[in-house]
Amino acid sequence: MMEIKIVVIDDDQRMQEDTLIWSLKDRFGDENISFFLTPNEGLDYIGNNLENNMIVLLDINFPQNQIDGHEILAEISNMSKLIPVILWSAVDENKESFSDFINNQAFGFISKTATSREATSHIDKAVLYLENSLDNVLEDWIIQNDADKDAPIYLTSDDKSYSLNDILREIRLQTAIGKEFSKKFNDLTIDLLLRNKENLNG
Amino acid sequence: MSMGKKVEDNYIKFNFDVSAYRLLGRELITDRITALFEIVKNSYDANSDKVSVQFISVSPKSNSSKIIIKDDGLGMKLDDLKNRWMVIGTSSKRRERTSPSPYNRKVVGKKGIGRFAVDLLGSRLVLKTKQKNTDKWICLETNWSTYSDLENKQLELPFDEKKEFFTDIKNKYWFEDGDENKQGTILEIDIVNDEWTEYDVGRAYKELSKLVSPNAKTTKYPFKIKISSQYDSYKDAWVKPIPIIDYATKAISLSFDKQKELQEVIVHEKGSLVIKTVPKRQFGLVEFTLFYFDKTTKRKFKGEFNIDIDGIKIYRDGIITTPFAEHEANQNKQKDILGIDKRRYSGFFDKINSRDLMGYLEITDNENPNIIETTNRQDFIDNSDYNELKLFIIEQIEQIEKSLKYETENIRETTKSDLGNANSGLKAIKKNLSEIKRGASPAVKKQLRGVEANLGKLQGTFNKSIKDFAKLEQESKQKESLFFSLVSLQTYAAMFSHMTKHTIGHVIRDAEYFSEHFPNERLNDRFKTISGRIFSEFITLRDGVDFMLKYAQSDDEIEDINLFELLDNLFKNIYSPIFRKEGIETQLDIVGSLILRYNKKALEDIFDNLISNSIKALKSQKNKKIKCSGIVSNDELTLYFSDNGYGILEEDKYRIFDIFFTRTAEDGGAGIGLYMVKTRIEAMNGSIEVVKNEFEPTGATFKITLPFQK
Repeated sequence: MMEIKIVVIDDDQRMQEDTLIWSLKDRFGDENISFFLTPNEGLDYIGNNLENNMIVLLDINFPQNQIDGHEILAEISNMSKLIPVILWSAVDENKESFSDFINNQAFGFISKTATSREATSHIDKAVLYLENSLDNVLEDWIIQNDADKDAPIYLTSDDKSYSLNDILREIRLQTAIGKEFSKKFNDLTIDLLLRNKENLNG
Repeated sequence: MSMGKKVEDNYIKFNFDVSAYRLLGRELITDRITALFEIVKNSYDANSDKVSVQFISVSPKSNSSKIIIKDDGLGMKLDDLKNRWMVIGTSSKRRERTSPSPYNRKVVGKKGIGRFAVDLLGSRLVLKTKQKNTDKWICLETNWSTYSDLENKQLELPFDEKKEFFTDIKNKYWFEDGDENKQGTILEIDIVNDEWTEYDVGRAYKELSKLVSPNAKTTKYPFKIKISSQYDSYKDAWVKPIPIIDYATKAISLSFDKQKELQEVIVHEKGSLVIKTVPKRQFGLVEFTLFYFDKTTKRKFKGEFNIDIDGIKIYRDGIITTPFAEHEANQNKQKDILGIDKRRYSGFFDKINSRDLMGYLEITDNENPNIIETTNRQDFIDNSDYNELKLFIIEQIEQIEKSLKYETENIRETTKSDLGNANSGLKAIKKNLSEIKRGASPAVKKQLRGVEANLGKLQGTFNKSIKDFAKLEQESKQKESLFFSLVSLQTYAAMFSHMTKHTIGHVIRDAEYFSEHFPNERLNDRFKTISGRIFSEFITLRDGVDFMLKYAQSDDEIEDINLFELLDNLFKNIYSPIFRKEGIETQLDIVGSLILRYNKKALEDIFDNLISNSIKALKSQKNKKIKCSGIVSNDELTLYFSDNGYGILEEDKYRIFDIFFTRTAEDGGAGIGLYMVKTRIEAMNGSIEVVKNEFEPTGATFKITLPFQK
């Protein structure tokens, strides 16, 4: 199984010992669960770990002097669009405003009254999403094939060269060149398919 | 189709059927009062000086029922009639926002929907119109019943059958001789749809009276409306503004100084409302006339005019703005555009609402260009100017509220002292009487005894009323404090459900985990954690429920309390055994004395909570200290409450007063104490905050401020 880091940002310290967190630790490994009581610590961690697969569980309400879930999600979304962020809150859904959550592509919403099983189904979906994302398919390919992962295979117009591993990193970091790669990969696949050069079942 | 034609010549057109037209009309104009309103607005836009609305034999409805609306406005040319009146959706008013010079009126019928309005009043219209310096009236007949017949037919005809469209129907026009000097437009409507009773005509009158601001400065070109009907009250009635000022309890009129860019506002100062000037606000300068009605004046006003007191309306350049121009008979359905009534849900109990108020806010196109009606005519465009304007209106209303509150309190005080004076007067009379009695003859003495007895009875009654008054006063204070607790109860209920969600979440997942994994030797530690947590979560839940119950039972006894005695008692008696046991050194350091008239339990709660918090915070400290010091100034008490416990984390400073926030869950802290402290202090108009700690290096200091009146 691919390695996934679970990042929980919640100001309620009692949540650290919640059974849901235990279940996540049992499933993804103790070392892969990070719990942060303040938004800034959480955001720092995410920023420093963009090369990893992450799923974020995000509380919405934070103390007055800190940014809240809306802003945190916007910041994560700015850093990378590849991270599924699941909102996790006891807010009154009738009062909460959700439009910006949608605009920033929140992955799901779990109520704090949810059972672990209900919560886990959202996490499962996020895992599936990660497994099928372009960067992970690419990574799988790199792992399974013997090609030289560090040999330059791509040259840009300004003479920079990139190896397979470089490309993977650029995609994960969501740099301009990374986004360009993603787009070109997709274009290429479609082109090959249309010209019958490639067969998806192959 | 001719095959010889070029491909480009093959066109088909959209057609418009009658039902679509009628649907549109019904969407735009929903009732006949609004219809009338729209037609009269058109006359205004056509630079009319007067418009008359005649109801002829409208009750009961008969074949001879007619409504004639006649103005002396600019009239139309045949071209206008063909290209404007007869074209649905065009409106020259969209392009030109003011009527022709020299009137330059701000046009109010913005959408060109007058003709839809006619349809709602009656089925046949003869429109006659004439411009100055022409010798012919142009007359046009539109028979809406032809359209209705067609509409019905269309519903029955299968789709592929050829049928007439809305645009295929011909409307006859002709010319009639007329006086060259005359101008105007006449709408003669017959086959009237509904009966118009005296009540209906009265409603039309009252609604039309709102069209023009009663307050507008006499413009060079005033606009007058006359209503004629078979009813005595509306035989030849010029529509006049209602003389509200004669009836209102309070009338306020605010203006501005254009040159100095100053806006008048009202400010409450010790019972009177004073007009002051402030710099021009963001939305520009406005005139504002505001009337407040109390119960008595409201009854009088309604009795006189039989209309509702219906809030504040905005007039632009002397004519009503569209969000307020639509008639809604049911007051409950009227929109609270300015948000006056919304305020009542958000907290206070002595707020007045739009049914106590009438007002005219006058804006102008020049002065307030950013106050713009939305296209659906239901509100203004939500921009910062409009929001500021709403705020301005609310601020003025709040000043009235303040003065009302002051008056009630003042009346209460005056009555109380008047009663007291009268009572001592009575005593003096009694004393005089007994002196007179001493030197009087037996006959007079006998009579005086009777007087004395009556005086005694009177005094008894008097004493009873004074007691009753005191009781009443106390009851009303209790009610106020009840309202206060209800308000915080509302906040509490919101927090409580939030907390409950957390608790339920924890317990539900704990139970789930347990049922899925038990028994399992390796997980024993976790099972232990789970059972402990279920226990503590339920404790929190229980305390929350208890606290809510406490609200339900809180006693509202008000008494004189010597604050320092109360503190002294808490420190030296009630808590001293615990202080001794825990080894806590205390210091009570207060200058001056202060008697507060309040609920003792509420005050004790505040200090109870602060003390027990400190005890928890000192648990593992050495040299434990709790100190309470205070300074009494003229109208304010400042208290500092400090301990040298583990202190408050910087990040918690802002949420320490939040309900169910706690860092001492393991010591049985449910996070209610400081919340209660804060709400109690706020109910006394005071404040509490965390300030720099008095004891170094660790500890916490709370600063409490309580205002009072001597």
